[in-house]
Amino acid sequence: MRSMRSTGFRRRTQRVLEQGTSFVADASASFRRNGLMTAAAVTTIMVALLVVGAAVLIGLNLGNIAEVVEGQVQVVAFLRDGLTSVEAEKVRTAVGAVPGVEEVEFVGRGEALQRLQQQMGEHAAFADLASTNPLPDSLEVQLTDPRSAPVVASVVARQPGVAEVTYGGEVVDRLIALTRGLRGVAALLTVFLTSVALIVVVNTIRLTVIARRQEIEIMQLVGATPWFVRWPFLIEGLFQGAAAAVAAVVVLGTVYLVGMLRLQVTMPFLPLAGPADAALPLLGSVLMGGFCVGAAGSLLAIRRFLTS
Amino acid sequence: MVQFQDVTKGYPNGVLALRRVSLRVDPGEFVFVVGPTGTGKSTLLKLLYRDESPTEGRVFVAGRDVSALPHRAIPELRRGLGVVFQDFKLLPSRTVFENIAFALRVIGAPPQEIRSRVIRALDLVGLAHRPDAMPGHLSGGEQQRISIARAIVNDPPLLLADEPTGNLDPNSSWEIMQVLSRINLRGTTVIMTTHNKMIVDILRRRVVQLAAGRVVRDQSRGLYAVDA
Ligand SMILES: Nc1ncnc2c1ncn2[C@@H]1O[C@H](COP(=O)(O)OP(=O)(O)OP(=O)(O)O)[C@@H](O)[C@H]1O
Ligand SMILES: [Mg+2]
Repeated sequence: MRSMRSTGFRRRTQRVLEQGTSFVADASASFRRNGLMTAAAVTTIMVALLVVGAAVLIGLNLGNIAEVVEGQVQVVAFLRDGLTSVEAEKVRTAVGAVPGVEEVEFVGRGEALQRLQQQMGEHAAFADLASTNPLPDSLEVQLTDPRSAPVVASVVARQPGVAEVTYGGEVVDRLIALTRGLRGVAALLTVFLTSVALIVVVNTIRLTVIARRQEIEIMQLVGATPWFVRWPFLIEGLFQGAAAAVAAVVVLGTVYLVGMLRLQVTMPFLPLAGPADAALPLLGSVLMGGFCVGAAGSLLAIRRFLTS
Repeated sequence: MVQFQDVTKGYPNGVLALRRVSLRVDPGEFVFVVGPTGTGKSTLLKLLYRDESPTEGRVFVAGRDVSALPHRAIPELRRGLGVVFQDFKLLPSRTVFENIAFALRVIGAPPQEIRSRVIRALDLVGLAHRPDAMPGHLSGGEQQRISIARAIVNDPPLLLADEPTGNLDPNSSWEIMQVLSRINLRGTTVIMTTHNKMIVDILRRRVVQLAAGRVVRDQSRGLYAVDA
């Protein structure tokens, strides 16, 4: 009983393996036959995937930056020039009493310059600033809720002794708007390029389908299931999608690594996504995209030739 | 084995290929379907292997209503019948053996059974000595015998033949008729459309005559035409 079942299992496995091997052989044979069309199909899929991947990478980094900046949201009130320390302390108390304010810290102009120098690194340009420090004294206001920044900022601005108020929220808002805009453009571009890629894939695989029309007709006549007929073409489509995805990942990965190294030298404070963080979203989106375009293209190409 | 109940078939272009056809074929019968061109003979067979479905009425194959068959059940239906055409429909780049084995492979037959079943089918059509020939190097009659071997390699109880001798000279046609008779003697039901008067008149089997999509004569041991 037991051995019978295991022979049956072995037979089935063997059959699946044989069929699988012949499917793959079919697919690679047509890859060779329609070389030029296949290259064109792979290239167009790759272009579409480059856009998808680039959008994912840029979106990832903008999101990162927005998140870091959002965490740092604070209202900064610049004080009028020439206030005495007693006057400054008075302003500080008044600001501390504004609803929504958690804590207020006085930052003298000397300290402000030092912080800026630390942030920007040791650039020569700062050396001569020491004598003619352009920065005013300021109050750094921590908020109980970062979202109340605009309201608190407008109240603080009306306090006597306060010259100007800024809050990081403006940057966050702009980053979010930028990310949204980028997503929109990328989505449109992706839809357009994917449609083009799909059309090329369908036409490429249709060449194979037409070359094997007779086989397809006979298969269906003698009772092959539609999936049995589809498989070789589906594999061909997946091959094309996978090849395009690998090419796109290599291109994007190289460009990203080089670009990231450059940016980190010139703008070390930018919170860029490292290779490890970027790899998964990039691979995931590009591979998924490639497989989807390849599969959809091949299924569309054969649809008309399946009677059932 | 086969039953048509009041079957009407209209094509999308408005042509009524069959009009209220009722017909019953019992297991083991050999039936000629005759009639002028365009009277619906091929359509009658297409309804049986579900290449088309009827506009009205019902079609039964081996007790199963195939007019209402869902798409996914079509492969199963076709594994239970063989179909032979005037133009053979062989794969020119594969050997005789491979052409027949193909039909077994695509329905997932066990690989270790394929060789013996193909040889048995070739034996039945008298071509066991040419398994490695390419179809293009064989005569029309031999090619048709390969296509018959492919149709019966799965031992279906029903064989449909649409003008199987249409492209053949009289000698080859007789070879084909001998093969089909042999298959019928083994118990397979055979339904064959034909324009070949001589074959019908000599073999004297059941004759169903169509005219403009209607059954106008159904006669056992009939002739090609009544008044000839
Ligand atoms: N797919 C189709 N679409 C539209 N009309 C069709 C289709 N197939 C057949 N017809 C029409 O249906 C009618 C019957 O065709 P069918 O092929 O069944 O005739 P037949 O008896 O087999 O003819 P022949 O002896 O020439 O083979 C014809 O008028 C034909 O033009
Ligand atoms: Mg016909």
